[in-house]
Amino acid sequence: MLNLSALTLIIPLITGILLGYFLREKRRVSLDKVSLIAIVVLIFSLGFSIGSNSELLNSMPRIGLTALVMSVLAIIFSVFFVKLARRRVRME
Amino acid sequence: MIKYILTALAIGVIAGYLNNNFGSLVANSWVSDYLFNASLILLLFVMGLVFGMDKEATSKMKRTGPKILVVPIAVALGSILGGLVGGLILRLDVFASMAASAGYGWYTLTGPLMGQIFGAEWGALGFVLNFLRELLTIVTVSLMVKIDKYAPIASGGATTMDTTLPILVRYCGSDVLIVAFSSGFILTVIAPFTIIAIASLAQLSSPLFL
Repeated sequence: MLNLSALTLIIPLITGILLGYFLREKRRVSLDKVSLIAIVVLIFSLGFSIGSNSELLNSMPRIGLTALVMSVLAIIFSVFFVKLARRRVRME
Repeated sequence: MIKYILTALAIGVIAGYLNNNFGSLVANSWVSDYLFNASLILLLFVMGLVFGMDKEATSKMKRTGPKILVVPIAVALGSILGGLVGGLILRLDVFASMAASAGYGWYTLTGPLMGQIFGAEWGALGFVLNFLRELLTIVTVSLMVKIDKYAPIASGGATTMDTTLPILVRYCGSDVLIVAFSSGFILTVIAPFTIIAIASLAQLSSPLFL
């Protein structure tokens, strides 16, 4: 995943929430463009780390299909359980 | 939106491959660590800001309250069950496959940990399986959100506290921010414990299977 500790993720998030809360009544700024650009940069660098990881790429032909089947199953069951649980506790 | 993401991903993969194999223009770590972390921190701040300013999102969050814990628990159970079914279908060691799926998408942890416990082959599989989970979450987000508002969060597992969070918020709305982040956070915390717990279960039960 990454070399950041959970704290380095929580701090900017909380700072943003608090600042947003206090800026509520002020004029609205559109952050759509900023976040879209940052998402593109983030996904690009994720792709970059995949493309430059020769170990990962080399292991793909051997275990790729097994890993794909298993990851799809993990996703399907997770989605199913969350859907079920959400209905159970009546979560919006 | 999704076409920007997929294009960025594809160009990133190609750029990383070329950079690694045909003369390094920049250090690999500059992009995959520095650029990645900088954009992630900026995004977390911006998402927090949008969430904090959104009256509806915050009040909805207050109403949901402790119910949000249901999501990571369901994801953990679903992932482990998925691992069990996968192990049975593919005729693999079911404990190892359950443990590998209990990485919840955190591949940098699951790879090395699985390698240590179950050997190199499972280390590679644990890495690729969880890595594909993250990739599939990004690629399928626009379809997933049609199944259920929280389906992309379920799919993302532990990655919903960082890499996949900005995309989820874009697709599911600002009000899922806390559910997604907390689910990813909890799954990140419990991933090493569940992997080790399943591994010790395997050791306990091995006489039965031998």
